[in-house]
Amino acid sequence: MKTKTTSVNLENITKIFKDKQSHSEVHAVQDVNILIEPGTLVTLLGPSGCGKTTTLRMIAGFELPTKGKVYIGNEDVTYLPPNKRDTAMVFQSYGLFPHMNVFNNIAYGLKLRQMSKSEIEKRVMEILKVVGLEQLAQRAPSRLSGGQQQRVSLARSLIVQPSVLLLDEPLSNLDALLREQMRVEIRRIQQSFGITAVYVTHDRVEAMSLSDQVIVMNAGKIIQVGSPEEIYEKPDSKFVAGFIGKVAFFPVEVQEVSEKKCVVEINEKVFNTYSYVEGIQAGQKATMMCRPESMKPVEPGEGILDGEVRTNIYLGNSVESFISTEFGEVLVQIDNPAQKKIYKEGKKVSMAIDSELARVLPEE
Amino acid sequence: MFTKKKVAVFIVLLVLVLILDFWIFNNVKDEFADIIQSNRAELASALLLSAPTDEEKIEGWLATNREKHPDLNIIYIKGLPGYGDSKLFTVEEGLLRFYSSNEDSAVFEKGIESAVYDELYFAQDNYNYRDSENRLVFAPIKDEMGFPVGVGIFLFNNKEYKKFNNLINIFILAVAAIFFVVYWLSQFTRDPMLSFIILFLLLLVGIFIVYPLFEAVRLTFLKDGQFSLETWKTILTTKQYVSALWGSIKLGISTATFSTLVGFLFAFVITRTAVKGKKFFSTMATLPVISPPFSLTLSIILLFGNNGLITKQLLNVQNFSIYGLGGLTLVQTMGMFPIAFLTMVGVLNAIDSTLEDAAMDLSASRMKTFTSVTLPLAVPGILSAWLLVFTNSLADFANPLILSGDYRVLSVEAYLEVTGMNRLGNGAALSLLLLLPTLTAFLVQRTWVSKKSYVTVTGKPSATLTELTSKPVKYTLLTLMIVITAFLIGLYGTIVAGCFVKNWGIDYSFTLENWSEALQRGKDAIVDTTILATITMPIAGIIAMVAAMIIVRKKFYGKRLMEILLMTPFAIPGTLIGISFILAFNKAPLILVGTAAIIIINYVVRELPVGIEGGVATLRQIDPAIEEAASDLGADVPTVFRTIILPLIRPAFISSLSYTFVRSMTAVSAVIFLISAQWYHMTVLIYNFSENLRFGLASVLATTLIIIVLAVFGLMRLLIRENKVLAKNDAVMRG
Repeated sequence: MKTKTTSVNLENITKIFKDKQSHSEVHAVQDVNILIEPGTLVTLLGPSGCGKTTTLRMIAGFELPTKGKVYIGNEDVTYLPPNKRDTAMVFQSYGLFPHMNVFNNIAYGLKLRQMSKSEIEKRVMEILKVVGLEQLAQRAPSRLSGGQQQRVSLARSLIVQPSVLLLDEPLSNLDALLREQMRVEIRRIQQSFGITAVYVTHDRVEAMSLSDQVIVMNAGKIIQVGSPEEIYEKPDSKFVAGFIGKVAFFPVEVQEVSEKKCVVEINEKVFNTYSYVEGIQAGQKATMMCRPESMKPVEPGEGILDGEVRTNIYLGNSVESFISTEFGEVLVQIDNPAQKKIYKEGKKVSMAIDSELARVLPEE
Repeated sequence: MFTKKKVAVFIVLLVLVLILDFWIFNNVKDEFADIIQSNRAELASALLLSAPTDEEKIEGWLATNREKHPDLNIIYIKGLPGYGDSKLFTVEEGLLRFYSSNEDSAVFEKGIESAVYDELYFAQDNYNYRDSENRLVFAPIKDEMGFPVGVGIFLFNNKEYKKFNNLINIFILAVAAIFFVVYWLSQFTRDPMLSFIILFLLLLVGIFIVYPLFEAVRLTFLKDGQFSLETWKTILTTKQYVSALWGSIKLGISTATFSTLVGFLFAFVITRTAVKGKKFFSTMATLPVISPPFSLTLSIILLFGNNGLITKQLLNVQNFSIYGLGGLTLVQTMGMFPIAFLTMVGVLNAIDSTLEDAAMDLSASRMKTFTSVTLPLAVPGILSAWLLVFTNSLADFANPLILSGDYRVLSVEAYLEVTGMNRLGNGAALSLLLLLPTLTAFLVQRTWVSKKSYVTVTGKPSATLTELTSKPVKYTLLTLMIVITAFLIGLYGTIVAGCFVKNWGIDYSFTLENWSEALQRGKDAIVDTTILATITMPIAGIIAMVAAMIIVRKKFYGKRLMEILLMTPFAIPGTLIGISFILAFNKAPLILVGTAAIIIINYVVRELPVGIEGGVATLRQIDPAIEEAASDLGADVPTVFRTIILPLIRPAFISSLSYTFVRSMTAVSAVIFLISAQWYHMTVLIYNFSENLRFGLASVLATTLIIIVLAVFGLMRLLIRENKVLAKNDAVMRG
């Protein structure tokens, strides 16, 4: 099955909802610009209420932007109703038609396009094979498991060969194991179809494992755009750093900034880092972020910070060690614990930080 | 913007609209022509009844008629042409020439021959006389013995008729133009079909709700075309009218109080005690909701009236009159306690009985539990039931019409003003006055009571029920309930018995004659009523569901206003709607009075609110993503409605259909103003029969109506159950 690959472009999109009860305005989305390259999967990631779903619904046409323009390919679709847009959406609640069986659910879009019966049947069976539901064509949606319903929903959207596939937290109603499977499947199908896709989620693991690009949103604004690696390793703000993964923040003072190096003073000790946010200058107060895997406990006095082990959580492939320091409790992840020294709870330790992995962020 | 497909769709739509447009207005034209023709026939016959046969007096008679009817020319032929000597009399020379030039035409020969054989004849062609078009009527002139002795030829000027016809033609074009403009305007919006539907609904609301009400209000402030407060002064100072207002309120209060008590009794016993036959009792307690108007009144009169079975035959009491406040309260309570019952069953069911268990667990007595837990929680529900019954009692028209006697209530007073006295302004003002307590109750219910509600729906009816009543209390309540139910069954039994009794009150022998006579005389009304209700059903049902969809799912400016306006007819007494309809649609530009259209529109407008509420409630339970998915896959608004929404809200749709049908079959308060000789209503016929003391005939019609209504409800239950069975099968398979 072939699909068209089209770009999606949002220009200065603002969406304001009027709250009639309190006569106030809610700025759901503020001056957002997004360019999605053809054939890529882009994730809108953010906490609930950050405007990611509203943005998606504006691409689909369910919401009209208060300001700004929406382009699919080169066409301005801002005022086009959803049924005239070449998008197909997979809903969080699936939105399967309860009064139709699986076959008719999937065939719905084709029937609207007045395709011949035989052609419809051929295509539906084809897509059912792709999502692995050939045997269930005659089932009612209510008699499918959550994962199967999700697949029907996906098939129903894919069969109309949309220019853009929109996915609104499609996995949030599934249990953890199924979610992992479906994640892989969605990515596989998206890539094999080469379809442009926009994926909304609040789950950072989903975002990282699926996307070509991640767009982190908060309070209606885009905070950062980048590949999953960039977002994880080189966040520009404490918000992104904290949202995308576990992290510890330490207050530091910047002493020296050069092209490749940022020297900071932490706990009255000088520390070299090699990653920092553009614009940080010497003499400023700043924040240093450290992922749990970039720190390790060492004998007291040997590391940068002193502390005491509070709790150790054994996870098999790693141990999560909570160490209280003067900057609060810090989570340290020790991989392959069998080969490493694990300090007992209550022990005094010091923390060593891998300077390659630390990053200096502006203080907020 | 104008693709080929769009243009094609538009053309098809336009053609359809034009066909409908022309069809409707041609019907209006035809009906109007019929009315004109029968008016002319009446006038001609009436004039000729007074026509002298003395030759000396003929000239004088013609001259008087000329003065009275300047647009009417009469040729008086004394003697029968072709059967002996004849002589012509006219007031103008020209008429003689007109006669002689047409004398030999086939139409004149036919006309005169008909007149000779004592028949009216209408010439179907137009005749020019003195530069204007005329229609000819040939009528016989008879002597005292009733023998034709001459022929009158009437030249009716067609001026007025043509003016009206032109008006209709203009109107046809206007409707088409409005359609075109609305369609064209909607093309400029984001979703043309949606905008079209919204504009259509707004037009509907504007023309058939706002405009008539405005006309009614306007009329009350007019006197001889000038602004004046006289009507209101009369209404508010005349004792008769003021006492009608108090009468309505007093009746409302007493009916509401008794109905709430009875309703609470039924609801409490059914939800809070373990008794047998709950299903039977709750069916009995809902039956009066669908029973036609006049039926309970009828049986009350049969039992307690002047010739009543109980008052006269059994007890032989003197000086007892069921007419008045007491009788009205009795019949309204029997008819309206179901409203209170249904409201309170809902409320009591929603009160988790574990709360009562908790109170008793804390060692409260049963009485204490009832007064400190159950009752306070039920208070908002009780109040809301009371207000609902109060509103209904005030709007009630059928019962007081027959049973009020000297007691005055507003709805009947307004009706009498309009139909009896032809004082439309007073009628409108009285029915507006009726709106005052009704709206107050409605607003109190909507704002205050609904906010006070403590009830939280847990969705889990508790499995076991701790009896809140001691045995003696329980059996007392049960006995009361049985007595009331028996009385209700007795009332319905009386109607059925009434069908088979020769002359109630005098001769109780068995007969089937009532049936043959009632069905003979009521045949047309039964057919008319059923046709009108059948046409109304799908129109109201579909509009209600579409409106519900738009209200629940779409956002647009003025939605709130549209919603309020669509729901207003629910709070407005039928009398006011009826009066405002005749005020608004008895004149240009929308002359609809006398047609079937006005009755259907009236039904549609009045039954929409309930249908919309049902649709809204069902739609709110349906995940919007389902419709969004359809629309996302390319379905436009009508397609989403047809393929997704309608199948999903089928139960609401079916019940809205049957509700509309039943309500249309049993309508009376508004429709009594709108019926005509062509379109009659069964309920009005029942009223006429009862007024003429033909209780046997009235009983037959009431019974027929009950049978039709029950049949429709049975059918609806079947249809909905089928749906449920499907869903159940589904659940079973899943399990």
